[in-house]
Amino acid sequence: MSLSPLWTWLESLPISIYIAGGWGFPLCESIHVLASTFVVGSILMVDLRLLGLAGRRHPVSRITREIVPWTLGACAVSVLAGFGMFMGQANHYMDNRAFQVKLALLLLAAMNMGIFHLHTSRGIARWDTAGRPSAAARLGGACSLLLWIGIMLSARWIGHLTR
Amino acid sequence: MMTHALTLLARTLARSSARTLVVYLLNNVPGLPPIVQTVHLLSVAAVMGSIVLIDLRVLGLALPTQSPAELVRRLMPWTWWALPFLATSGLVFVLNSPSRYLFNPVFGLKFAMLAPAVILAAVFQRAGAKDARFWELSRGRRVAARTIACASLFLWVGVVMAGRWIAYADILFPG
Repeated sequence: MSLSPLWTWLESLPISIYIAGGWGFPLCESIHVLASTFVVGSILMVDLRLLGLAGRRHPVSRITREIVPWTLGACAVSVLAGFGMFMGQANHYMDNRAFQVKLALLLLAAMNMGIFHLHTSRGIARWDTAGRPSAAARLGGACSLLLWIGIMLSARWIGHLTR
Repeated sequence: MMTHALTLLARTLARSSARTLVVYLLNNVPGLPPIVQTVHLLSVAAVMGSIVLIDLRVLGLALPTQSPAELVRRLMPWTWWALPFLATSGLVFVLNSPSRYLFNPVFGLKFAMLAPAVILAAVFQRAGAKDARFWELSRGRRVAARTIACASLFLWVGVVMAGRWIAYADILFPG
């Protein structure tokens, strides 16, 4: 077990101690679950559209334009509440293998989204209204789907590991 | 009366062979507890992407270019598909420790919110199934639709949050 000065400092903040002590942690946790399931639910919708499995009569661009702001808003709430959970036991979480896997998968999911927005979506005009989007778009959707299931699984696994 | 019925139910579940199986599987299949919990959470995500989004649409907050009736037809099946998965994955944990759940006040609260939430969803969908414009035909119906959406939204948020608070019932109800 390695203690990092940064995480130890974070744990020692009055607000961290307050959250860890009583109703703060479960409140953060329940908000985190609420916001995260919304994030995954809305991303699932976009992924299934990219895979050509749902909402085929709607242009991809319209679905993403209308849903992504909600996804990002819920994501911000989720990160904030998740950070609240993290503060009180930062060293413990950083040492937790499931937590490490979750962070790595989150990074991959973010990269996957980045590739879609910077690269794949450039050619969107060609497949926006197609029932089956381009191979690259379908690959992005499939990766996103698998990554988010993995993120949920590793997140849920954190509490089952003692370290 | 109610306590008596719950005690009886808890005892029956505790002695059932289904419980023996569930306890054996949860203790012997590596990773099964978080996997079953993830099935539960993914199904919650499906509810979020369907009925919760429909509620937000009816309230005029999300998906402005898609009509509520069309969204109900397209998205509501996700909720109806998620419910059996939610029930099955949830039952696994109830069977594992019946008394922990059945006598938990937050568990009771969760189901007290879940029942009306499901009924509202069914009523909303059925009324609009025959006539896509059912909820838009008069001012009264538009108000009713918004009221249902608002209640549904609060109920589902309550159900999800209560689900997580089951584990912390002693903080809410000390003693």
